[in-house]
This record gives sequence, C-alpha cells and structure tokens, in this order.
Amino acid sequence: MAISIQIDRVSREYGPVKALDDVTLDIRAGEFFTLLGSSGCGKSSLLKLIGGFDRQTSGRVAFDGKDVGNLPANRRPVNTVFQSLALFPHMSVAQNVGYGLRLRGLSGSTLETRISGALDLVELSGFGQRDVNLLSGGQRQRVALARALVMEPGILLLDEPLTGLDERLRQQMRDEFGRLHKRTGATFILVTHNQDEALSLSDRMAVMHRGRIEQVDAPARFFEAPANAFVARFVGIDTLLRPERIVATGNHAEATIAGQTLPVRVEGPADLAASVVAIRPDRLFLAPQGMPPALTLMVVGTTFRGLHRDLKLAFSDGQTLVIAIEADADIGQLSAGQQVSVGLKPDAAVLISSAGLPPA
Amino acid sequence: MTGPRLPTSSVLMTPPLLAILAFGLAPLTIVVVWSFWSWDPLTYWIKPDLSLAGYAAILEAGRWTVIVSTLVKALGTALLCLLIAYPTAYAVHFLAGRRLSIILLALITIPFFTSYLIRSFSWRLVLGRTGVLNTWLQDWGITHAPLEWLLFSNFAVVVGLVASYLPFATFPLLLSMRRVDPTFLAAAQDLGAGFWKSLTSILLPLTMSGIFAGFLFVFVMVVGSSTEVQMLGGAGASIVSVMINDVMRVANYPLAFAISTIVLVVIFGLVLIGNRIFGLASLFEDQSQ
Repeated sequence: MAISIQIDRVSREYGPVKALDDVTLDIRAGEFFTLLGSSGCGKSSLLKLIGGFDRQTSGRVAFDGKDVGNLPANRRPVNTVFQSLALFPHMSVAQNVGYGLRLRGLSGSTLETRISGALDLVELSGFGQRDVNLLSGGQRQRVALARALVMEPGILLLDEPLTGLDERLRQQMRDEFGRLHKRTGATFILVTHNQDEALSLSDRMAVMHRGRIEQVDAPARFFEAPANAFVARFVGIDTLLRPERIVATGNHAEATIAGQTLPVRVEGPADLAASVVAIRPDRLFLAPQGMPPALTLMVVGTTFRGLHRDLKLAFSDGQTLVIAIEADADIGQLSAGQQVSVGLKPDAAVLISSAGLPPA
Repeated sequence: MTGPRLPTSSVLMTPPLLAILAFGLAPLTIVVVWSFWSWDPLTYWIKPDLSLAGYAAILEAGRWTVIVSTLVKALGTALLCLLIAYPTAYAVHFLAGRRLSIILLALITIPFFTSYLIRSFSWRLVLGRTGVLNTWLQDWGITHAPLEWLLFSNFAVVVGLVASYLPFATFPLLLSMRRVDPTFLAAAQDLGAGFWKSLTSILLPLTMSGIFAGFLFVFVMVVGSSTEVQMLGGAGASIVSVMINDVMRVANYPLAFAISTIVLVVIFGLVLIGNRIFGLASLFEDQSQ
C-alpha cells in the first residue's frame, strides 16, 4: 500500500550548518516524487529523515498523517536503494534479496517463491546463487532494487541510484524505475542531481537549494513558471533579463528591455527591483523578412550543442539572450555584430522573481 | 656488460627476503632440528645424534600439563580480550566522534609505554591483601576479610594477561571494522534488522578476519609470556616460557626446543585453520575492490 508523507516545518542542523531549513512538503501516496538539487542542497538529509536514519532538529515527519519521529528505520514501512547499493558482500544474490524477509520470519518455499518473484521482477531470474561481488554494475543495481522491492514497501527511497552507471545503463535503469513504479504502486522518492532523470520520471519534483525547497511542481511547470531566477537557471533557462520598465494590467504585462518592449506572462512580482524576465530559448525564432519583428538584436556568436545550435544575441545595453536554432541552419549570413530580427512564440517570456540572482 | 640485467623489483626484494631468512626462518629451522638431537645430562653436552629424548622428556615431570595449561590460559585470555575489545572497537569506530575516538585510542595505547614488568607489578597493588580492591570491598561491607584468591592465583594471572594484551585484540578489530562500509549496517536496519540482528548477521561476519587476527595475536603473546605468571601467579605457577627458561639453565636445548616445536606446531596449525575458515589474509587486502 502506498503511503503519503507529510514533512512539516522540518529543520536539521549540524552545529551552525542548516542542512534543512524549515522545509514543508507533502508527498502524495503512490506518487513518483523527485528531490532535485546540486550536492549539499539538503536533498539527501531529507531522504535520511524519511528513511529514519537521522532525526530532525525541529519539525515533524509523518506517514499517512501519523508522526513517525520515534519510529527507528528498521520499523518504518520504507525501503531504500542506497547510492553505494550496500549489497552485503558475504551473501549471495538470493541471500541479499531474502535478508529482510527472513527477518520477518519467512522461510522455506514461501521465502524461495518471494525471492525468485523479486528477481523475475528485475529481470535477474536464475541469478539467486551468484556471488554479488562478481555482478556487473547494472546487475548489482537490480539486486539492490529487488532487495528493497521484495519487502513491498509503502515508500521506496532511491538515493542517487544511477550515479555510478554509464549513460546507456543509466537510461535503461531509469526506464526500469518507471516500470517498477507502475507495477508496485508504491510511493517512490528519488534523490538526484540529474535533471533528465527527474524530468522523465517524476509526477512532481522539488528543486532544493541551501536546505530550502525553491519550488514543488509537476516537471513541465518548472519551465512554464519557474518560481524564481535560481530555479530558472537550474532547469536550463539561462536567459534572465532585467527590465527597465514593467507595465502590468492583470495577468498581462509588457516589459521594456533596453528600449524594446515585449509581452510577458506574470508569474511573480511585477516589480522592477524584484523581477526578471525569463526567456525560453525554444520559444524564440529568427523572424523572416517582412514579418514585424518583436525584437531587434545584435549577433554575438553561435555555439554548437549537438542536436541544436545556440545563437547568442545582445541588447543594446549589453544584456544577452540565447536562441536555440537548428544545428544545420544556414548561419552564413549571421556574423558577429550584425542586427537580426527575433520573433517570440506565445509564452516565450515570463516575469519571475529575481531571487537567487546576484544583485545588479 | 654481460649477463642479463636484474630487474629492479628483484633487487629491491632481496634485502627483505634475506632479512626474513636470517631472522625468521634460520632460527626456526635450528630450533626444530636441534629438538631432535640428544643431550647428555652428565656433560650437559648436545650431540647431533637423532633422538626423540627431548619429546619423551616433555611427558616427564608434568611438563605436558604446563603446555596444556598454557594453551588453556592463552585460549581463555584471547577470548576474554575479544569480548572486551569488540565493544571497545565498535565504540571507537562507530559511536565516538573524531576527537573522542582519538582520545579513546590514546587511552588504550598509552599504558603500553611502560614495561610489562611495571604493569604486572602494579596489579599486585590492586589485587593484594591490602590492595585497592580488597580495601574497597571491605570498606563497602561486601567482604569482611581480604579475598586471598585475588593475587598469586590463576585469576590474577589472567587479569594481568588480559590487561597486557588487550590492544593486540583491539587494533585488528578496529582495522577490520574500518573496512566495513557503514551503509551495510544502514541497509540491514532499512530491511528491518535491529541492533543485535545487524551485529550478528552483518558486522560479525564481515569482521571475522579481524576477530581471528585479534585472537591469534593475543594467543601467541600469552603463549610467549612469562612476566605475568612470575609476578602474579601462585607458588609453582608455570607457563611455557618459564618452563623453557628452567630447562635452558641446564643447557638441555633438545628439550627446550622440543617444547618450542610443539608450541610452534600448535600455533601454525591455528594460523592455517584460521586462514582457511576466516580468510585472515583478507584483513590486509587492498580496500578498493
């Protein structure tokens, strides 16, 4: 049975260092939830509190509404796939997978059936008698998953489980997580610094920074309405422009940047000091001849990015923005210093809080 | 230049190999070979005639009982040391912070800066008739007369031996615990194991090599010890080293070496069995897999 988690005003302090700073978060039962952030942001500290491996300095952690503060890790309906996997080196694959069940008193054919069922689930049928030290990285990963899933936990914690794997295996295991989440229906909580993993797997995700949660939303919302400049940067919206004038009427507004006015959607304070205009590189295009241009900008240069090419353009006040153009686009006529016309697709520009951006 | 050049590695290997041969293997060989020579009690002279007289003499004058009691003392002391050292190593490695663990390690090590003689003697002041322990026991009304068996007894000897050789069990255990990823214990807990279960199913099996190494070190040290028995043992208390010393006084080298050979065989047997079962060598393997 999937379990919901309530994190209420939780802080975790190590001396003067606040690993978690007044975090409040609700994770729904059966959800695939991701804690995303760079190292040291507090995501692993939060995971430890949910797993029961650490205690918060203040605040409350509850499962299905019931406080679990006094419940040690071994009595929580939670199982973990550790970053280092922590497969017991002195046990075979089957002994590893069956460890928790044996503690629950299972034995004989019931135990065997459950173990082989779990191994089937992670596509390691027949690997029971193998030595865990002799498995490949992907196989070890699957054993760790099977060991946790065989317990039928209400909550499965995944602590950066894909970090050590190569790219192909990483994608394979990522798909595996998605499949197993649907199969088991448990609440999955993934901790990662990898945006791709978070975006492709999560129902919702939280971006964390310095022990605080910056935004909790469905993955798409992070691009439509990033909570602030830090989040926008974190998800790859690098173009953040400081407007010199904002004229707002309800939800519609126009911002003026270096003398040029463009429509913006308001998703934060409409205030010159506390706002920036975030522009999505995929919602801009080079305007063809004859079309009224939204912006006229000067070419700075291009960068080859594989599947696309970044075209960097500058306003007259020196602020720059980036457009994603086709990698094989004819850019012969785009030489540095040249003026080009740029068109905006709907929702290209969003007015958001400038929090997280160094003061100008 | 003529002839093949010696690779650098074999040049570097030569001195330590020679040292091992000269200081380790050669004396051992002499001990074993001389134990089969014969000794003339009239002239105190040894002759290179093959003889089992040395081994036969072990069966005389209750010498074999000394060997057996030495092995029993060694076994008991080693087990007691492990019993005390395991929680100690656990506390130092898993429970104490960096500072506290350094302080604890220092407390374990510092007594070893004084000689065995002084340390053994100091137990007389603790265990004697008017010693610290007997005084306290009477002051608190637990006993009404001094306990006689505290000193000059097997009890005193074992206390002295444990106190002397405890670190030889503690350090191998610490070494083996350092090799255990603490996440293994977290994983066991995550899967439902309480403290005792994770101790018996994860930590103990993973520190077996350290347990055996600690056992072996203490065992060997006790078999070779003499000070504790001489300082703390009762009248007529003996131990292999003391007995060998007595035999050497009359220059009966074959007998002394026969006793030594027996002890050597027992210890070598232990090492081989231990290595087979507990993988002693793994304690010194590279940590990275």
